[in-house]
Amino acid sequence: MGGATSSLLRTSGLTKRFGGLTAVSDLSFDLRSGEILGLIGPNGAGKSTVFNLISGFTKPTAGRLELFGRDCTGSSALTISRMGLVRTFQHGSYMKAMTVRDNILIGTLQRLRGPARRKCVAETAEMLGLTSCLDRIAGSQPHGIQRLVSIAIALAARPRVLCLDEPLTGLNQTEVGGVLGVFQRIRNEFGTTILLVEHNTKAVMAVCDRIVVLHHGQQLAEGPPLEITSNADVIAAYLGPRHDR
Amino acid sequence: MRRRDHIVWLAGGLIAVAATRLFQDAYSISVVNLVFIACLFAASFRFVMLIGEMSFASAAFVGVGAYGAGVATTLLHWPFALAMLVGPVVATLVSIGFGLIVLRIKGPYFMLIGFAFAEAVQIAAAQIQVIGGPSGMVGIFAPRILDAWMQSFVAAVVVTALYLLYRLEWSDFGRLLGAIQNNDNVARTVGVNVLGAKVTCFAVASFMAGLAGSLTAFVNNVIAPSDFGFMLANFALVYVKVGGERSLFGAVAGATVMVLLSSYSIVLGASNELFYGAAIVVTILLMPQGLAGLVEKIRLRLMAPKAVRREA
Repeated sequence: MGGATSSLLRTSGLTKRFGGLTAVSDLSFDLRSGEILGLIGPNGAGKSTVFNLISGFTKPTAGRLELFGRDCTGSSALTISRMGLVRTFQHGSYMKAMTVRDNILIGTLQRLRGPARRKCVAETAEMLGLTSCLDRIAGSQPHGIQRLVSIAIALAARPRVLCLDEPLTGLNQTEVGGVLGVFQRIRNEFGTTILLVEHNTKAVMAVCDRIVVLHHGQQLAEGPPLEITSNADVIAAYLGPRHDR
Repeated sequence: MRRRDHIVWLAGGLIAVAATRLFQDAYSISVVNLVFIACLFAASFRFVMLIGEMSFASAAFVGVGAYGAGVATTLLHWPFALAMLVGPVVATLVSIGFGLIVLRIKGPYFMLIGFAFAEAVQIAAAQIQVIGGPSGMVGIFAPRILDAWMQSFVAAVVVTALYLLYRLEWSDFGRLLGAIQNNDNVARTVGVNVLGAKVTCFAVASFMAGLAGSLTAFVNNVIAPSDFGFMLANFALVYVKVGGERSLFGAVAGATVMVLLSSYSIVLGASNELFYGAAIVVTILLMPQGLAGLVEKIRLRLMAPKAVRREA
């Protein structure tokens, strides 16, 4: 592992075209070890496509993807996840018909056996506040719990890089506050680096160390939250003038 | 699996095998054999359903199992144990090759390819003269020592196979299959080799389907390509739907009830296919979770406190 600011993930000129539509164009950014990086932008900006490219679910048309110093351009989702990059999905990133416990267990299957696995499930559930509903069917739980289960599955795999695709959607203010605290704990206690795609800009500004802004598949800006909120291009394209005041 | 489950399986298995001794006339013995073989085939069909797919190709694997036993016994004169296992092993190997290609697709596409595969294998078997062409093979006998014990032997083999499937379903591998059925992308993103797990599941189910075919060959002594067409897989689907797909016991209950009822319907002169079609319509309309779901519903109602029942 590298130092505190070494790059775990690097994209260089990453491009994805679907026929005549360019979803992501010439995207280059670094994800540094131990940071929480936000990826924001309006609907259709290409955020989910970037996630699919990074996690191996979609192959890039051009450009290069480097993970932990290795060229992973075009690698499969399985290869990338086994290297230590785990993602969640925007919708239903959990197993509805299974108990919360079994959901979290799935995250441990490739890594642990026996008592170590049970310990990992208990630890993960405790961190996300899921201990009281471990034996309940995940699909029958409130939306907020289901979101946490999605994160718990990914976290149980103890990834080096955790990519979260809109994990705060549908949560109320109290739940958002709790989940942001969980992100900090994940980073601090497990040393996990987090890449966060999120529409809740207030939350992103509060929790992220740096932010990359996408617009029409292109990188509009990159920097710390304060710099982003005062960037005129970002205000015009995404945040709106209220953020300028 | 808890220790209690193992004991229940052992006791249940012994009772099932012992119960076969109650039947001594030829017709009853043939029905008992049919019931046990149908249970194994239904369980095999349901095992693929754990990954969320329906494999109509399983009919072909029953055929491969039966023809394996037929070829090994009548043409190669291999010992019984080897002849019984060669079909399931060949079915497994074929299913691995088939699965590696076909399990990349899902749902109706997978189902249609399975259907086409079953038909293709049936047509191919009818074209190969060395295995009897359309007439099939005759004289597939188990050793004489088993003559009086065949139904108990079939029961013992099927109970053992069902126990192994149950254990697998309740292992980590079974959980993995459940995860793939629910959301294969999530499984993939935490490092699960989804295709590998699907192919393994398919191979296990095909081994069991092959075993069902092998037993069929030794029980009937005669096999023909028409015995292993697409309709056979349809029957398995009916067994699973009528019994309830959520548990192995549902598949076993469905197979038992349907084989017994259809044996009775033959006496009445009714068409088997018509009867099976009607059964699936009735099940879907009246008990969507199958017999197992109905039993569970009754159990929950009986266990509910009286006050809750009054409110309901």
